Amino acid sequence: MITAEQKPIQEIIQYIAPYSKILLVGCNECVTVCAAGGRKEVGLLASALHLNHLKQGKNIDIREITLERQCDPEYVEELAPYIDGVDAVVSMACGCGVQTIAARFKKTPVFPAVNTRFMGASLSQGVWSERCKGCGDCVLGITGGICPVARCSKHLFNGPCGGTSNGQCEVSPDIDCAWRLIWERLKELGMESRYEELMEAKDWRPGGAGGPGTIIREDLA
Amino acid sequence: MSFKAKLTSGERVILAEMDTPKGVDISNMISHARFLKSRVDAVVLPDLDTGVMHLNALAGGAVLTQQGLEPVIHVYGRDRNRMALQGDLLAAHVLGIHNLMVVQGEEMINGDHPDAKIVDDVDELGILNMIQTLMAGTDLAGFELHGKPEFTPGIAAPPITDEDQLTQAVADAGAKIAAGAGYIVLQPVFDLDFYKKIIHAFSSLNVPVIASVFLLKNVGMARYISINDPTSRLSEDVIRRIRQAKDRDTECVTIAGEMIRSLKEISQGIKISALGWEDKLPAILDSAGL
Repeated sequence: MITAEQKPIQEIIQYIAPYSKILLVGCNECVTVCAAGGRKEVGLLASALHLNHLKQGKNIDIREITLERQCDPEYVEELAPYIDGVDAVVSMACGCGVQTIAARFKKTPVFPAVNTRFMGASLSQGVWSERCKGCGDCVLGITGGICPVARCSKHLFNGPCGGTSNGQCEVSPDIDCAWRLIWERLKELGMESRYEELMEAKDWRPGGAGGPGTIIREDLA
Repeated sequence: MSFKAKLTSGERVILAEMDTPKGVDISNMISHARFLKSRVDAVVLPDLDTGVMHLNALAGGAVLTQQGLEPVIHVYGRDRNRMALQGDLLAAHVLGIHNLMVVQGEEMINGDHPDAKIVDDVDELGILNMIQTLMAGTDLAGFELHGKPEFTPGIAAPPITDEDQLTQAVADAGAKIAAGAGYIVLQPVFDLDFYKKIIHAFSSLNVPVIASVFLLKNVGMARYISINDPTSRLSEDVIRRIRQAKDRDTECVTIAGEMIRSLKEISQGIKISALGWEDKLPAILDSAGL
C-alpha cells in the first residue's frame, strides 16, 4: 500500500489561513490502513483545526467527508455538491488523491494534509516498512522475493557493498542488509546458483525515466 | 581581453560551439581549436546534456585551455547530484575553466542511453545558487572550502514558441539572474523580426544577451528543423534558397553569415553552432565580417 504521515499541523494551518470554509476529505484506502488520512484522522484533524481557530478568535467552518477512493474520479465526483460552498479543500489522501481532486475542481484550491512516504508493508501494529520503489521491471523473481531496489540502501544489484556488517546495513544497525537477506533466502530455497547470475545495468525507463508513467489497458479503456 | 572582461565592459563577444568526440580521439578538436584561436573569444562545450554520451565538457575544456582557448562549459543536473556537481565545479576552476553555462539536460528518453537513471537533484536555479555558494567559500552543506573558486555563470534561454511564452521565459531568466547568472544565451531563430523581439525582451534584464546562429548543412536538415522545431521559425524561403543554390555548402555558410551580420548589431554577442562542421567556422566568420 501507499503509506503516508500527517503533515505538521502548523503547515496545514498556514495553507488554510486565508480561508474560512474548508472541505476536509479523507480516503478509505491506503491512508486509512496506515492511520494517516481515514475517517478517524479526518475527525481528529478537524478538531485540532477548530481548536486552533478558537484560540485565535477566528471562525472556521469545516465539512468532513471520507471518500471510498480519492484516486478515482468516480468517487471524487461525490464532492461536487459541496465544492461551491467551500473556499478550499484539504485532502488527507496520498498525492494521487490530492491531484485527482485538483484535476476535477479547477477553481477550488486543494491542499495536502499528509506527506506521502512510500509503497510499503505492515511489519507489526503501527510499523510500516518500504518494500517497493515502483521501478517498473520487477526483479523479485531473481532475488528470492526481497527487493534490492527498495531495501538495499545503495540500490545494488549484484551483491552487498563492503559496508555490510553482521547482516546489517552500514546506514543503520536497524536496517537489515538486503543482500544478506537475499542470500539467506536463496539458500533456504536451494537456489544459490541464482546469486551467481549477474544482473546487467538496469533499464530505468519503466520506473519513470521516460516521463510520468501511464498504463493503458485497451480491453478496459 | 577575456570573455568575462568583454562581457562586463559591454564589448561584443563571439562564441563558437564545439562538440567533444564520442571517444578519445581529440585530434579534430585540437585542429579546430587551432584555427579558432584568434577568431573567437571563447568556445562553448556542451556536456552530456545533449543526450549523447561523449567526452565530457570538463575534459574538453581542459584540452581547449591547453590550446590557449577560453572554454565555456555546460553545467546541468540531469546526470549528477549536488555532490558530483560541486566536485566537478571545483575541478573546473583548478583546470582553468571559469566560464559556465547552466542549462537543462535533454530528456534522457531522447538520448542515446534512454535506459539510464535520471538524477535531477538540483535544477538550474539550484545550480546557480550552488555556484554562488562555492564562490563565497563554502559548499552547499555549509563547510568551508580551502580556496574559493571563481566563475562567470550564464544561462541558456529556452526555445520561444510565442510572445506569451517569451514573457514567461524572461521572468524565469530574471529569477536566474537574481541567483547569479551574468549573461543569457538565446536559442537560434531564423526569423529576424521575431528574433529582434526576443532580444529586445531579454535585454530588459540588463545582462549581456548573446544570440545564437546555427549552420544549416543541407536541404534535408533545414526541412527537418522546419517541421520538427517550429520555434526555429525556419521558413520555406530559406529552404528554397539552399535548394536552388549552385553551391549549397557555400549558401549555407552565407545564410549563417547574414544572420550574424544582422544580429551582431542588436545583441552583445553571437554564439555560432556548426554541429560537427567546425571547419566551416572560419568561412562563416569571414562571411559575417568578423
